Amino acid sequence: MSATRDERQLVGTSVPRADGADKVTGRARYVADLSLPGMLAGKVLRSTYPHARIVRIDTSAARAILGVHAVLTGEDTPKIPWGFFVPDQYPLSVGKVRYAGEEVAAVAARDEATADRAVRAIEVEYEELPAVFDPEEAMAEGAPRIHDVTNNVATHFRIERGDVEAALAAADLVVDETFESMLQWQAAMEPIGCLADYQEGKLTLWANVSGLFRARNQLARALALEPGEIRIIQPAVGGGFGGKSMDDNNAVICALLARATRRPVKLVNTREEDFIGGRPRPTMRIRVRIGFKRDGTMVGKDLRVVLDNGAYSCKAPAAGGVAALRHDTLYLNDTVRSELFVAYTNKVPTGAFRGFGNPSAEWAVEQAFDIGCERLGLDPREVALKNAAGPGRVSPHGNRIGSCELHECIRRATDLIGWTEKRAARKPYRGLGLALSAHVSGKRHFYDYDGSSVILKVNQDGRVVILCGEGEVGQGATTVLAQIAAEELGVPYEHVSIMPADTDSTLFVLGAFASRLTYVAGNAVRQAAAKARRELLVSAGEFLEAHADDLQIRDGRVQVKGVPQRAMTVGEVASRRNFRKGGEPIVVTGTWDAASESHGKDRYGSESGAFSFCAHAAEVEVDPETGKVTVLNYTSATDSGTIINPVLAESQTEGGLIQGIGYALTEGFLMQDGQLLDPNFSGYKIPCIADIPPFRHEFVPSYEPTGPFGAKGVGEISMDPVAAAIGNAVADAIGARIHTLPITPEKVLAALDGRETQR
Amino acid sequence: MSLRTITITVNGMRHEVDVRPNVRLIDLLREDLALTGTKEGCSVGVCGACTVLVDGRSVSACLTLAVMVAGREVLTIEGLAEGDALHPLQQAFLERGGLQCGFCTPGQIMAAKALLDERPHPDDEEIRVAMLGNLCRCTGYYKIIESIKAAAGDVAARRQEARA
Repeated sequence: MSATRDERQLVGTSVPRADGADKVTGRARYVADLSLPGMLAGKVLRSTYPHARIVRIDTSAARAILGVHAVLTGEDTPKIPWGFFVPDQYPLSVGKVRYAGEEVAAVAARDEATADRAVRAIEVEYEELPAVFDPEEAMAEGAPRIHDVTNNVATHFRIERGDVEAALAAADLVVDETFESMLQWQAAMEPIGCLADYQEGKLTLWANVSGLFRARNQLARALALEPGEIRIIQPAVGGGFGGKSMDDNNAVICALLARATRRPVKLVNTREEDFIGGRPRPTMRIRVRIGFKRDGTMVGKDLRVVLDNGAYSCKAPAAGGVAALRHDTLYLNDTVRSELFVAYTNKVPTGAFRGFGNPSAEWAVEQAFDIGCERLGLDPREVALKNAAGPGRVSPHGNRIGSCELHECIRRATDLIGWTEKRAARKPYRGLGLALSAHVSGKRHFYDYDGSSVILKVNQDGRVVILCGEGEVGQGATTVLAQIAAEELGVPYEHVSIMPADTDSTLFVLGAFASRLTYVAGNAVRQAAAKARRELLVSAGEFLEAHADDLQIRDGRVQVKGVPQRAMTVGEVASRRNFRKGGEPIVVTGTWDAASESHGKDRYGSESGAFSFCAHAAEVEVDPETGKVTVLNYTSATDSGTIINPVLAESQTEGGLIQGIGYALTEGFLMQDGQLLDPNFSGYKIPCIADIPPFRHEFVPSYEPTGPFGAKGVGEISMDPVAAAIGNAVADAIGARIHTLPITPEKVLAALDGRETQR
Repeated sequence: MSLRTITITVNGMRHEVDVRPNVRLIDLLREDLALTGTKEGCSVGVCGACTVLVDGRSVSACLTLAVMVAGREVLTIEGLAEGDALHPLQQAFLERGGLQCGFCTPGQIMAAKALLDERPHPDDEEIRVAMLGNLCRCTGYYKIIESIKAAAGDVAARRQEARA
């Protein structure tokens, strides 16, 4: 076996990021930094109407401009709708537009200024159609029809486990509340962009997408190509958070322009385009009913989620599924009903954002839970401890929980904030809030596959190179995977490199989503490293005249156990094995598929191989004059199994918290008739350095038997319960509940006055 | 628009360039001088990704016209390290997790350099004020503050050594 827990050298240490030196020196190359000879600039013309029939498009004036190489409309495309779950969007509008911001035409020209002029020279005649901006209005009889589906419903399901109405009827208390979340944009600092080149029947894209192979399949569909005709290479990516998972049309349009011009084309969104043409987290209106016994035991739950899909489906139907079901992994209650409606509206299409459906669901359910505690006169900490799930539990939807330190998370988060002492010595306009969350480590979402595969080779100098297509979007996945490989092999971390993701040279993988890379890809990497170690030991045994079982690899040297001077370097073993008659290199694959299950119509089965858990506690102060909410203190405790790289994991946790604080307090766009007003960082307030509260966090000791070295997912869970924790703290501070996000000063003032505004 | 010939010093090297009066400093750096370490995040001077130093003061290169820096000294992220030796700020961001995706990092480091040049030992409040204009979506800022503090100690130590 490999190193025992005590012998570990690298797992649990904060080695510097593999890509860090390039990033602090400005050497890292992002898509906007790339150029090719003869490269053209792409630009997109977007609809200014939320819903309109396209009567006529005249591109002749644009085409006549010197330096314009192509002007494309929907007529120049294969007109094949694409999309991960419900194929319903075209690369360029066909027949009509369904939201303000939709891509109607695209230009490739010698430079950006010329492309800009050409876009402005395109004439489009629209016939405006009645539009609808609220999902429940869209589902009503007589509403404008956006797609050819009944009642504008893209997805619907209703699942009941046990008899919910009977459970609620028998409960001592039933909380019945409706909450609404808010569109939230990923707002990665690097906008979405692509460089495409089409030569000799092969389309090559340098695109800042996560999930290269899934993106390739979607591109192939939209462009009527075979996946093998497309190669995607991932440059440095400036943050994703789900917003770069190929739900939007940027790469498709860039590819169309490259194919039409036979020239490389670069198409990088402006910040405004990232907002109006991005795929934010969907708004959900959630009615939640929870029944409690007098002692706080939860006995039944009923959830009705209406998700505002926007104009096209993207990944929102799946996010809605998570919002409807995932929460039932947290508590011991088995009697649950969930109904989901995903309804089209004439607004920006919605997609994946860190946490997926969880932050929206937690905002509603964890507040309803808190209301139950308040009405029963019980301490939310004690009620959480009473109801929280533990190891070995199977959720009502079939999630099989392995390691689970949720109780310890609740105790640590509340202890860190001084929960009990502060509740005993209350101050006016100050409040405490608690919220919990469970998250997956990978999810069986696509192709009935939840696995990963890598190629690992040991070069003649002993350096280890891993070909892995999972990619790096900034989260630090490649650093963690290199640590896992180095630990398993017994070589220095600096001797392992992970090549950039490239669909032509790496094996099929799913990419970054669902907090899956450390857990799923980590297992594949560890397996490959174990195979390579075995080969090194067998070959070294031959050279050192020892049995492979009597050898070990430490710090890049293969040595006889107990006789460390009888040793060779890994490089010596690899080259001596290769450079001889009949010699061969060390090249192995590692592959691993989680023991999760696909959801059929019954939505039953363990969606992931392992689950992470957390508890968050917030202390806020509300200014009764202005309504301003200040987060005085924030604490959290997380069970993510073994932490491979503490600094990277802490940084994920801190970043997730601050995105959550943005979601809770400031991130919301003013919208009018489906249009975003001021679509830039001036109008959309993500937290800045002055907005961060004092924060204490712990990873509780935990070991997941199915994870690499005991690890589980880290990336998303830190954002899941933040809005709920702050919402609960605000309610505790002012004695009134805010039901819609974000919690703005005007809503707080209105709540203090005993009235509530809608937005 | 007619071209104007200007002389600017970038990272210690003098350049004579012909620019249109409407060309932004960020375009001059990224396109004419191939210094792509300076990033464009919002184009309206709100995000700070394009922060560079002009005569030691931090500016947004997306809001600065190239002709405005004629005769002046510009420092970009590429000019910070001395050969292979990283600047203490670069070293601290690297070691203390002051970055994830890295896109805002050049701007963060340049803004922090302007701060440390003026205030070698900034307190938390001074760091917050100086770094207000540099958005980061990944780190939540905690490790950026920690990196700047660590670098401040390191910069001060080097100055001491130099004096001794």
